[in-house]
Amino acid sequence: MRHARIILDGRELDINIDANDQLTTTGGEALDVALNSEKITWLPPVKQPGTIFALGLNYADHATELAFEPPKEPLVFIKHANTLTGHKQVSYRPDGIEYQHYECELVAVIGKTGKNIKREDALDYVAGYTVCNDFAIRDYLENYYRPNLRVKSRDSLLPMGPWIVDTADLPDANNLRLLTEVNGKITQDGSTKDMIFDIPFLIEYLSKIMTLNPGDMIATGTPHGVADMQPGDTVVCSIENVCSLETKIVSEQQYYGDNY
Amino acid sequence: MTAKTLVNSKLVCVALNDKAQLAALEATFNEAPYNKPPTQPVLYYKPRNTWSTEGAVVEWAKDFDGNDAAEMAVGASLGVVIGKETCRVSAEEALDYVSGYTIVADYSLPEQNYYRPDIKGKCLDTSAPVGPEVVATGKVANPDALTVTINVNGEHKSAFDLATMERSVAELISIISRIMTLQTGEIIAVGFAGNRVAVNKGDKVEASIKGVGTLNNTLGGA
Repeated sequence: MRHARIILDGRELDINIDANDQLTTTGGEALDVALNSEKITWLPPVKQPGTIFALGLNYADHATELAFEPPKEPLVFIKHANTLTGHKQVSYRPDGIEYQHYECELVAVIGKTGKNIKREDALDYVAGYTVCNDFAIRDYLENYYRPNLRVKSRDSLLPMGPWIVDTADLPDANNLRLLTEVNGKITQDGSTKDMIFDIPFLIEYLSKIMTLNPGDMIATGTPHGVADMQPGDTVVCSIENVCSLETKIVSEQQYYGDNY
Repeated sequence: MTAKTLVNSKLVCVALNDKAQLAALEATFNEAPYNKPPTQPVLYYKPRNTWSTEGAVVEWAKDFDGNDAAEMAVGASLGVVIGKETCRVSAEEALDYVSGYTIVADYSLPEQNYYRPDIKGKCLDTSAPVGPEVVATGKVANPDALTVTINVNGEHKSAFDLATMERSVAELISIISRIMTLQTGEIIAVGFAGNRVAVNKGDKVEASIKGVGTLNNTLGGA
């Protein structure tokens, strides 16, 4: 089963999506709408988002691309829910920058509270998986708590979804093709098998430091193949058997409107 | 995560906002891996598992083998409580978006390095008590004129005049609000004395700001 949050005809709904793409509210109401309908507004799929962990340099080829040695210990940073947006929504490019890139990532959504979780038990704590696009503004990198919040904690720059796939429906998250297309052209083509630190390792690692709670998310890093994004570009991040996440880039002024 | 925390949604902390600390580290910050001093506020989150309250016990950290950590440290900051949605505001108008002030204590492993996000050091459960209450802005004439003190077991250990911050409260709100929209009840810890105070198991710690209050916590592990 897949789970999502949508707005349909002005109603905010928590929905389940079955194998036949039938949408049903968690209250049991069958919805007469196609999965790809333009009438659906997709919200970020985690209803009460908690701490968002993200991984840097977690694919050896991407680390090399950025001229870093692959890390011996996970490079973890934290993002906040202000960054979240849904499928087919917009993300903005800040004014006056040279380089903003997407990062297609598999996300593990935590479903159960745990501390000191063993690797072999880790997947018991995962409610499901989704896809995110962990945008970065490279111009803003500084060597203090790198990647710093100015790079990674901006409004709208973490599209996620459209849905969460139950853990039970994805027996092997460590061998999934990961694909990014910009304006219809493939720019990133990798596999989750190339992650340096896999999801069970990351859950064991993080839960040695701190308690993990339902609604926490772990964005597991991106492989080789990042490219600059401009307003007007459309980027689609897809992970096999999970979902495809589409985002359109707008300018800072378009995004903030009256607050610009 | 403590149910009664005063924090709503987000606790953003500002590191390296003590002018004396920046001056002392200038040579270090011109070398690798930093290569040049920071040009922007150095920010970190204390995530929700860290949030705690007045009077609470702060857990003693464990290392990766499950043994007690050798050392812990505490810093204390003025906590600026956001009163309404704050998006891309100027420094001149920034204080209009503040509803009150409180105290944030940041318990952590000793700060040894600022190069990578300090998840291991800063994200410990219960390590961010906030309180004892939120004092309305009308009772604090000038937040940048306050002094944050730390006493451990009754002994004075640290005093930090916010007048010596690299960036003022209003400047920080303005800069942060251009990175992320802030919401009601979110809190910014605007600056800590560069010299964090070493603490031991069982220590009783008082973080105080005149006119804002005293935040009392005890280290666990004793």
